[in-house]
Amino acid sequence: MTTLGPRAERRTVVLCAVLVALMLGLGLLGLCYGASWSSPGKVFAALTGADHSVVIRDWRLPRVLAGLVFGAALGAAGAIFQNLTRNPMGSPDVIGLDAGAYTGALVALTVLSGTSAQLAAGSVLGGLAVAAAIYLLSFERGFSGLRLVVIGIAFNAMVTAINSWIVLRAELEVAIAAVGWSAGSLNGVGWADLGIPFTVIAVLLALMASRAHAMHQAALGDAVAVTTGVGINRLRLLMVLVGVGCTATVTAVAGPIAFIALAAPQIGRRLAGAAGVPLLPAALTGAVLLLAADLIAQMLLAPVALPVGVVSTAIGGCYLIWLLTKEVRRA
Amino acid sequence: MSIRRSSGLVGAASLALILTGCGFSSESGSDSSDKGGTRVFAADNGKITIPAAPKRVVATGYAVPALIEADAPLVGISSWKRGEPMMSKEDLAEYKKLPKVAGELATETNYEAIAEADPDLIVIGVPAPVLGDIDVKRLEGIAPVVAIGPTVPSAWRELSRKQSDAAGALKQFDAAKNTYEDKAAELAKKYKDVLPQLKLGHVGSYGDAAKGTFQREFNGSWGTNIAEDIGAEYYGKVKKAGPGSQSVSEYPSIEELPAAFREADVMTYSVNADGSVPKSVQYVLDSKLWKNLPAVKAGKAFPLRYTEAATYGEAVVTLDAIDKSLAPLLNR
Amino acid sequence: MTAAGRAPRASVTGRAGPQIGLLLGGLLLLTVIAVLSMGVGARHIPPAEVVRALFDHQGTDDHVIVRDVRLPRALLAIAVGAALAVAGALIQTLARNPLAEPGILGVTAGAGFAVTVGSALGLATGQAGELGFAITGSVLASLLVAAVGQRSPLRLVLTGVALTAVLGGVALGMRLMLPDAFDTYRFWSVGSLAGREQAPLALPLAAIAVSLLGALLLSRALNALTLGANVAHTLGAGVGWVRAATLVLITVLSGAATAVAGPILFVGLIVPHLVRRPAGGSVPWMILYTMVLGPILLLVADIGSRVLLPTGEVPVAIVTAFLGGPMLIWAVRRYGAGSL
Repeated sequence: MTTLGPRAERRTVVLCAVLVALMLGLGLLGLCYGASWSSPGKVFAALTGADHSVVIRDWRLPRVLAGLVFGAALGAAGAIFQNLTRNPMGSPDVIGLDAGAYTGALVALTVLSGTSAQLAAGSVLGGLAVAAAIYLLSFERGFSGLRLVVIGIAFNAMVTAINSWIVLRAELEVAIAAVGWSAGSLNGVGWADLGIPFTVIAVLLALMASRAHAMHQAALGDAVAVTTGVGINRLRLLMVLVGVGCTATVTAVAGPIAFIALAAPQIGRRLAGAAGVPLLPAALTGAVLLLAADLIAQMLLAPVALPVGVVSTAIGGCYLIWLLTKEVRRA
Repeated sequence: MSIRRSSGLVGAASLALILTGCGFSSESGSDSSDKGGTRVFAADNGKITIPAAPKRVVATGYAVPALIEADAPLVGISSWKRGEPMMSKEDLAEYKKLPKVAGELATETNYEAIAEADPDLIVIGVPAPVLGDIDVKRLEGIAPVVAIGPTVPSAWRELSRKQSDAAGALKQFDAAKNTYEDKAAELAKKYKDVLPQLKLGHVGSYGDAAKGTFQREFNGSWGTNIAEDIGAEYYGKVKKAGPGSQSVSEYPSIEELPAAFREADVMTYSVNADGSVPKSVQYVLDSKLWKNLPAVKAGKAFPLRYTEAATYGEAVVTLDAIDKSLAPLLNR
Repeated sequence: MTAAGRAPRASVTGRAGPQIGLLLGGLLLLTVIAVLSMGVGARHIPPAEVVRALFDHQGTDDHVIVRDVRLPRALLAIAVGAALAVAGALIQTLARNPLAEPGILGVTAGAGFAVTVGSALGLATGQAGELGFAITGSVLASLLVAAVGQRSPLRLVLTGVALTAVLGGVALGMRLMLPDAFDTYRFWSVGSLAGREQAPLALPLAAIAVSLLGALLLSRALNALTLGANVAHTLGAGVGWVRAATLVLITVLSGAATAVAGPILFVGLIVPHLVRRPAGGSVPWMILYTMVLGPILLLVADIGSRVLLPTGEVPVAIVTAFLGGPMLIWAVRRYGAGSL
């Protein structure tokens, strides 16, 4: 990336290496930890097929991988939107994409019979509907990032209101179940749930990576982008679709895991000391954050587990506030 | 790539072999499938082949109190805070002692803990819409799963029977049922000159009677279905029937209180197990509209305890409480 | 940017004629809507009967409903609407941030969370306890948000959103762990005016009334402050003192409003934007107008919450979200994001 000085670039490389190491460490911990502890040796034996363990290979492994991939997808989606709006508030969870996807899921849960297929379809449709509405409404006489954020906040408030209302009106037994839904969870994720989402996210992230350079240019300002010949509006639409796709896919499988998309890119940016919001650190930070949150969610009250969304919100939010404080003190 | 049952059994067995550090014996890992016969059981999730005499049962949700009471061979349960105040001392001790394999939320079912309990039968007592939150396939990899979830509040009689039946614990269940029915018949006789002639109304506390509303319960609801067994008649019916409990209870605005209970001869209302009045009910009792009701003016408003009974054992306690509350009706 | 950026075109005394007329018109509208709101509900009661219930009480069911259910509710709507709208106007003036609002900045979330924790611990009982916890929560939340988010309007909002999310997550977690103790959170998560008519509310309402008065007294000094700290200094307004007093008013107003009605978003955002133009950049007029328009808005929203659905009531916070969301979108599109 031409805009980064050699020092910042080296810092980013080191940071990414550290994040990957952390990711692997947490992943291993996730494979070892469960109702009973398995030693790393046992885990490796299970992974290589030397030892046959359904728990490690079919239960823990998909959960760890889901945390990794979903965290990366959310971090990347957050980075995309924050670059696009040039605003840390422009992340999917703030502008209502999560809430919209959750509305779809709630409708599936309370109005329809709530099968997993309906939940998935409902989430994706809800997220897409909110994204389309925000995008269309913010596109008058040119595009403005701040306008998109403000409209998004308005939508988030409205959609959240719908959600609380659906929960308040729902039949009691269903409402009690839906309480858990408002915080996403990775519990019970198996291989069968992951094939399609992983494919979708892989395609979307590959698409994003191929346009990352152009996007970084765009993030530095329309003027720079135009002089370097980037088709700005088409790029923007493509990126919005990638971001919405990532968010809705994750929500469809795991429910609304709030705050990773807001916090990960900001944390990654500050750690990398970069201009704009770099995509790779954002994705890696997202993966580390979600993995760590999921582990804490399982350990905190073991054997009873908490939804990971509760923990991710608490950790991500606190860390973000701390970062903001530090910045103030430095300034 | 779902786990088929055969591989699941292998998995459970291998799990039992792997997990040795926690001092849990692995001898029962695979014996349930080859010893003893099996039978086909009709549950919410279809016709399920289950062991005829299960030896290690995991229960969740509404099945927890039912199976504890029926002395089923439990090895793991979900937490069930709602039922704690109504359990007998022994049952509560049993409930506290049993390993917990899930919290209050179906979404957070701890599959590994269930596998570790090594059950030969899993009884899930959650309502059908919530079943989507549970990976039934994964549970089926551990042991046969029967889902028997609540439908309407009064259906606990059949549901707890089915749950006990699946767990092969009908004997104790029938004993509790007979105790209850004898007691109900005796009370029905005691009140036969009074209750059947009266029109009753009930203000409930189950769920969230949200701000500015009250819960009106009709025949067949939580607060009413046991009183019905001794001859009480809660008149009227819901304005707009919905699924499940919405067909027997509704949450109208407090402003409709006079219209709702104008004809009632006797009013009853749900209170907590310790006799304290829940917030949502206290709100109604404090209202001037309540004090203006004919039944209340005539001094015929009675608190009912233990209205959330969902097993025969709990319901006996409820009957006692109803008898105590309604006693003033007899000495007129 | 905001009215704060412009020089006030009219002082309190100059060119006051049309503005007083507007204010009186607003008050008249408020009275009419208040009477209307007392006729609407699960039982329809004609306005004439409402007036009779108020002045010639017969003790019939209808009269009891008007006097003991709907009158307190209308008064509550007026107090809460005024408190939230004025708190919003004060925050927007103080922070020079058009997006600032007690709800968005996490102040109401802090108050609601504190009450939830307080009642779970068994401490926040009675009006004094609830009010105390609510105000403590809003003070802590605003101190945190102000300390972290100072200097940049955007960072202020970011901190508010982060704080709201953290508190929401923690409250949900605690609810899952201790379902009984935190059952009240369900009531505190969506603001509503229903069912509060019997609660002893004298204390919070008095706090709101005193704070509204304080806001009016402070408004001239704030007016000077909007001209810039230097100008304010030469005009004799103690800048630090005015800021501190305003902050106290904001926290008491939003804390008390949340204590009686739960978190209600957007009233504090919409109303100041609506009155900015008629107020012509004068802070005292802006505060006066918000005091009238805030109650009108909340009364209308509350009527909506009773009639929108045939099956039952919608909590008023949901209605204000639906009035406020499109309003905000319209404002952004009309004036452009830059002007906000």
